[in-house]
Amino acid sequence: MIGDEATLSRLMASAQDGDKAAYNVLLSEAGLWLERYYRRRVPPSQLDDLVQDVLLAIHAKRATYDPTRPFLPWLAAIARYRWVDHLRKVYKHESKEIEDDDAIEDSDEEVTLARVSLERLFGYLNEKQATAIELVKIEGLSIREASQRTGQSESLVKVNIHRGLKKLATLVEKAE
Amino acid sequence: MNTSRENMIAGLAEGLQPVRRINPRDGLLLLAFATLVAFGVSVVVFDFWFGMLEGQASAFFWVTNGLVLLLGCASALALILGGSPRVGQRENAPGWSAAMVAVLPIAAIIALFTGEANHVHEGLNDPVAAMCTKASVSAALLVGLAAVMWLRRSAPVSIERSAWLVGLASGSLGTVAYGITCPLDTVSHLGLWHVAPIGIAAVAARLVVPPLIRW
Repeated sequence: MIGDEATLSRLMASAQDGDKAAYNVLLSEAGLWLERYYRRRVPPSQLDDLVQDVLLAIHAKRATYDPTRPFLPWLAAIARYRWVDHLRKVYKHESKEIEDDDAIEDSDEEVTLARVSLERLFGYLNEKQATAIELVKIEGLSIREASQRTGQSESLVKVNIHRGLKKLATLVEKAE
Repeated sequence: MNTSRENMIAGLAEGLQPVRRINPRDGLLLLAFATLVAFGVSVVVFDFWFGMLEGQASAFFWVTNGLVLLLGCASALALILGGSPRVGQRENAPGWSAAMVAVLPIAAIIALFTGEANHVHEGLNDPVAAMCTKASVSAALLVGLAAVMWLRRSAPVSIERSAWLVGLASGSLGTVAYGITCPLDTVSHLGLWHVAPIGIAAVAARLVVPPLIRW
């Protein structure tokens, strides 16, 4: 069971004051939340690395959380930021396909997840950019394979990835 | 949850130390202090222009410095708030303020081409243009350093936007800090040479700042 917004916010405030037990629970819950958040946007083999990367980012930047504001949008902004960074760095050629039916489970945070979901970020890209990023950066196809799959030239695939990632970076905090 | 993550979380929790929460007000105070220092240095180097207090300044002097100050405040506020991660931010006060300030050089150019530029300090041959630009950019550098220091402490998630804001805020506040020591108050001088440093600072910050604030 993943903690609700109020609980997570309270745990984070306690962690900022040095409460180790609260921090342990918070990071565990945040890890589970992040797993669900990234599930459809990161190959399973990279999921844990990315989650741990975000947990380290939370630790490094924990002083920036304002307890008077909701916790999950703060976490989601960091998650998006690290995700875009991850997409830029990772160039995986062999990866298992992500199953489309791996849907987000119903939960108390359904509304929050819907508001801050990564799917929405992709909605801001044009179709060719989203497809190129999806195939190469997430499914792990090579540029050539993505080119054959989409009918775009290899150069166009590269351009669409570059422009799409640049646009995603600008949308990290802007997009709802 | 796998063992690796459990171990990492246990390690982070074990070494946890209390932290002082980052308060946006501290960031604003830091930028205000840097602006005051830039103002102080400008006064020491160039002398305060008392003419503005004696009614010698043109209306355009107040309009220009007022709009530039407004741009500086809007950009500084957006920059500071951008240091706290959140989603769904929609405010664009710096964009609109920059658009307002962009009217000034247009007014200056129109003035030049409609024959009002007959003063030695007016127009593109303005002999003190380089000095005003350099002094403003130098003052901007001081404010920009403070802004970068703040962003390195906080957690900006839109790196490019934050870099632009560093340039706009430091360029504007630096220009105002120097600008109130400059007795040249014509449309063409202020509209060109007290606005150009903002553009220079913005472009320079966009190029230089991202690697300094990325985390």
